[in-house]
Amino acid sequence: MTNLLMQIAGPAGWLRSVLPQSISDSVVYDVIWPLIQIAVALFIVMTLVAYLTLAERKISAWIQSRMGPMRVGPWGLLQPAADGLKLLIKEDIIPLLADKAVFTIAPIVSMVAAITVLVIIPYGAGWAPITDVNIALLFILAFSSVGTLGIILGGWASNSKYPLLGALRSSAQMISYEVAMGLALIGPLMWSKTLSMVGIVNAQNGDHIWYVFYQPLGFLIYFVCALAETNRAPFDLPEAESELTGGFHTEYSGFRFSLYFIAEYAAMFTVSAIAVTVFLGGWDFGGLIGHFLANTHQNVYTVISIIVFFGKVLLLLWAFMWFRWTFPRYRYDQLMDVGWKWLIPASLANIVLTGVWFVIGISIPDGKPFLKNYGTYIAAPGFPAKAYVIGSAFLVTITLTAILLSSINKHSRDFNLRTQRQLQLQKRAERLAEAGNM
Amino acid sequence: MSEKQGLKDFISRLLLLDLVKGLIVTLKYHNAALVQKRGATGQGDDPLKGIYTKQYPKERPIVAERFRGAPRLNNDPETGETLCIACNLCALACPEDCINVGSENREVMEGGKLKKKKVLTVYTFDTSRCMFCNLCSEACPTDCVELTQNFELASYTRIGAMWDREDLEGGRAIKQYTS
Repeated sequence: MTNLLMQIAGPAGWLRSVLPQSISDSVVYDVIWPLIQIAVALFIVMTLVAYLTLAERKISAWIQSRMGPMRVGPWGLLQPAADGLKLLIKEDIIPLLADKAVFTIAPIVSMVAAITVLVIIPYGAGWAPITDVNIALLFILAFSSVGTLGIILGGWASNSKYPLLGALRSSAQMISYEVAMGLALIGPLMWSKTLSMVGIVNAQNGDHIWYVFYQPLGFLIYFVCALAETNRAPFDLPEAESELTGGFHTEYSGFRFSLYFIAEYAAMFTVSAIAVTVFLGGWDFGGLIGHFLANTHQNVYTVISIIVFFGKVLLLLWAFMWFRWTFPRYRYDQLMDVGWKWLIPASLANIVLTGVWFVIGISIPDGKPFLKNYGTYIAAPGFPAKAYVIGSAFLVTITLTAILLSSINKHSRDFNLRTQRQLQLQKRAERLAEAGNM
Repeated sequence: MSEKQGLKDFISRLLLLDLVKGLIVTLKYHNAALVQKRGATGQGDDPLKGIYTKQYPKERPIVAERFRGAPRLNNDPETGETLCIACNLCALACPEDCINVGSENREVMEGGKLKKKKVLTVYTFDTSRCMFCNLCSEACPTDCVELTQNFELASYTRIGAMWDREDLEGGRAIKQYTS
């Protein structure tokens, strides 16, 4: 139960008054109402996912000065329906030597992992979240790895070389980026003191700040890792079209393929939703209107908060697509470099430095601590405290981390092949000069 | 690193300025495509001014001025009779041998006198073999055969690529897909 009082005020309370008294309170509040919420959330998110495929094509078209799909419905708005129908009536091919059981299960594993996570996303204030699990963030991280398991299983079960290569790449990518992703989320957790998604949003609401300002580096790392986790360009190595034909889903066709497709876009939605919840204040839209509505018109406030939440998520999803159509794909070794040599040290440094600012802020000005512990979360009330936290995060943490990273990577190979070649030529010239001196 | 890094270089690497630059470029194209009205751009315009592609069956593309497409036999605008004198020069000029001119000698009344004259009977033009070199048009002494700007030459059969005299004089009726 999130908050019984809020539920009674909202549609759940209305449901209680409509349903006969023979159905007990606990059944209404814990079974019927959550089921309705799940159905609505699933419907909204699946429609969103379908339209994300259209948005992807439209945005790629605009970036390339084209118009994108325009024939099915006005501005091509019915294109997802046409695509879905096409995929449904296509022949379902299972390769002769494939492991049939695993081949069948793999896309379902991906899909289930992507959809299960939807249950703990806080879609809005008050009665909007379906449930409030106190280990929500851990749950989400665990399930996003299960999604990758689906990809690995599918690639292996296809009994074909390109899917296998794609699956191997996917597993390597998962190991490299899951770590940095988890570590990047620890920074905000230091402030919110909870893993519950609703709790994190409430902490940001209570502090009147979005954690992206407290944790700019954390947000950056999380965003890059989220791109990698969802196999989006520039980290789309598991399905690199130009190298592996279709990657892990080369042998998949028809509806099984579309399950993978839906899972990918649903995962995109999930990581964006986490980013919004943890770093961008969730459904918080702040300001005087927000506070006025929260106190007087509970239901209006909740509806607006849901719209705000989805707006933020859509903005992030648009950024995902924007990035995809801007950056070329990383090479495999570059991917590993970015994961292990840059993102993981950076996220570790972020945790350490955040902790340092934290300890300094809470202890130094004697008598009047900068940062206050409100029990459920830690806040920086007042302008000087906020300026201290934000300033230290933006200026000192980022600079120190950059110095650390450049010192770690000083002797590693450069990404630029030309620079690598120049370095080798220079070393060769030095060797020759030495030989000449002797 | 072979070359020494300056502070400027360090800052640009720190703030990932190169990535931001790329993002700004794509964002410009994205916004231009969203903001600009369709049909605002002509041929060879700056793609940053909007959408560069055409919605073909809906929108007719403007072909280049010197584009050569479907052949045509011109009629005399005053009398409405064909300008072709069946001299066979176009067929001789054609490097692909895709023109076939058939004629017969007929007695025609002209200016009150009975004259023997070569009259065009058959004219076929094989567009499947034509390479649109315009040599037939240049050879024509009466400016009868000409290559027009029409580019819709596709047909469902091989025989459909053969244009007879009716097609050449009147042009082919093409089904327009408008929706």
